[in-house]
Amino acid sequence: MMKQQANSDKLVEELARKRAEVDILRQISLEINSTLNPEEIFDIVLRTMDELFGFHHSIILLPDGSGETLYVAASRGYEDPSPGAKVAVGTGIIGVVAKKRKLMRASNLSQQRRYAATIRKQMQEAGRAYELEEIAQLPGLPDAESQIAIPLMIKDRLIGVFSVESSEQKIFSELDEILVTIVANQAASAIHNAQLYAAEEQRRKELAEAHERLKQLNETLEVRVRDRTKELEEANRELRETQAQLVQSGKMASLGMLAAGIAHEINNPIGAIHSNADVQSRTISIIQDAFKNPVLAEQIRENPALSRAFTMLQSTNNVNREATGRIVKILRSLKSFARLDQAELESVNLHEGIDSSLTLLQHLLKDRIKVVKNYAPLPGVRCYASQINQVFMNLLTNAAQAVDGEGTITITTGLEGEEVVVGIADTGSGIAPDHLARVFDPGFTTKGVGVGSGLGLSITYRIIEGHHGSIGVRSEPGKGTAFTVRLPVSGPGR
Amino acid sequence: MEETRLPDEIKTVMQNGVPAILVSCSADGIPNTTIISQVYYVDRERVALSFQFFNKTVRNTRENPHVCLALTDFENSANWLLYIQYDHSESEGPIFDEMDMQIEAIASATGMSGIFKLKAADIYRVKSVRKIPYGPATLR
Repeated sequence: MMKQQANSDKLVEELARKRAEVDILRQISLEINSTLNPEEIFDIVLRTMDELFGFHHSIILLPDGSGETLYVAASRGYEDPSPGAKVAVGTGIIGVVAKKRKLMRASNLSQQRRYAATIRKQMQEAGRAYELEEIAQLPGLPDAESQIAIPLMIKDRLIGVFSVESSEQKIFSELDEILVTIVANQAASAIHNAQLYAAEEQRRKELAEAHERLKQLNETLEVRVRDRTKELEEANRELRETQAQLVQSGKMASLGMLAAGIAHEINNPIGAIHSNADVQSRTISIIQDAFKNPVLAEQIRENPALSRAFTMLQSTNNVNREATGRIVKILRSLKSFARLDQAELESVNLHEGIDSSLTLLQHLLKDRIKVVKNYAPLPGVRCYASQINQVFMNLLTNAAQAVDGEGTITITTGLEGEEVVVGIADTGSGIAPDHLARVFDPGFTTKGVGVGSGLGLSITYRIIEGHHGSIGVRSEPGKGTAFTVRLPVSGPGR
Repeated sequence: MEETRLPDEIKTVMQNGVPAILVSCSADGIPNTTIISQVYYVDRERVALSFQFFNKTVRNTRENPHVCLALTDFENSANWLLYIQYDHSESEGPIFDEMDMQIEAIASATGMSGIFKLKAADIYRVKSVRKIPYGPATLR
């Protein structure tokens, strides 16, 4: 009877204990799954082992990614917690559990170590030390008596090892093994979830960073494309200007060579004619002197036709002289304008260039346009003469073409500090305000088809710029336009 | 009291890992005593012993399968005396793996991986088992 009562009491006690353990396990399950923070999971597992199950020394190790080593992620109950301490897979109980991926419950470990030490010593004494390896330095209790180590597995993947150990003679029971296994499985699941969450967070972060980098790259790319397009447009514009200038320069050079050739060829015969006209004038004077003889004078008076012939001869000779004089002047202007022999920087009298241009433009000016020259004394200006002449030719041509019917072109020169200022103003039709800002753009023209190429002022601008000078324009529609050119006396410095 | 089946309480004694004393005998009657570190509980009728390097014992058991095994139960102040008979050896399978794991764990930690190597798990049938309160175990 008493024995039955004792058995009954024992069963009740056992039942109560199991119920308490089930409650603990349920509580752990709830706690462990309430966080995705690995540190908190480790703490819950180790604390539970210590405070609720009485396993005071426990340790969690995780693989370091190499597949060959585990490291201590968390531990409890050790004087030296050895965080980060390494365990090679296959070494010691923990290493072998990681290698075999099977739970291991070991006991009486000190006895086994002593046994191994004895064999080791005997082998050393027998001269077989070369067969021995170094004793592994492993984290954990150096005098552990019993240990349960369990692999933390998710499907076929090892995510860590959990170990409890004791230096007491106490042996972990099968029940202990079951409890540790349950907790370890919970821990494995929780650690895995935490790792997945961390990996997802990391992936999200990397994705966001990649997205941000891509965005910045796109923005940079857009800016670069924009800048590059602008550069290309600028290069294209410069290319067109340079091309136009080259074409114009080529045309001017051809024109200059042609003019110089013509001037040279014409100069000789004109010179002969001009000389002959002089000779003829002197001859006529001699004849007129001879006719002062009273007899001859009487005869001429009696012959009016002869008298008219002499008068006509004198008159036509005068016309011839003036004509050949003008031709000679034009030829000089042509030669001066072309300046083929002066392609280098030189000190130039700008008035000569302006006057040459006016001479060559006489056909445009004729009697309808009055040219007013307000020339001030100027020093020689260092410049490329043929280019500067081209500037004056362009500006004066535009001025002449702007005047419809009668009008005036006023040319003003002066010296302001180290700069020579040349103003060319006309009383022409003027330029509309919305066109004024574009007059120096290559290709821009308001002249009719076949009249202007739109390159004259663009080339003018480039030439002045090349001489480190400046050009400005003012205009009032219906009243006229005034260009002001400023050139440094010292030249462009090249 | 002598039994032919292993009682539950002997499992703990085997797990305790205290080196056991094994006595074998050659075919011509010469006995041999050795210490073994591991006795593995297979089931109520069988135990397994590690076959590592005790060549004389292995030779004896192959000639004469009858062996006596003495275990010390410190917790209960008793000795256990088992008469067992060599049955066969296993060099793979769950019993071998379990024993191999234990040996490998200790060997690798103590720098003896090249020495402690399980060659086979020798399976013995239990012929009789007897618990003897403290005092030196006596051979029948």
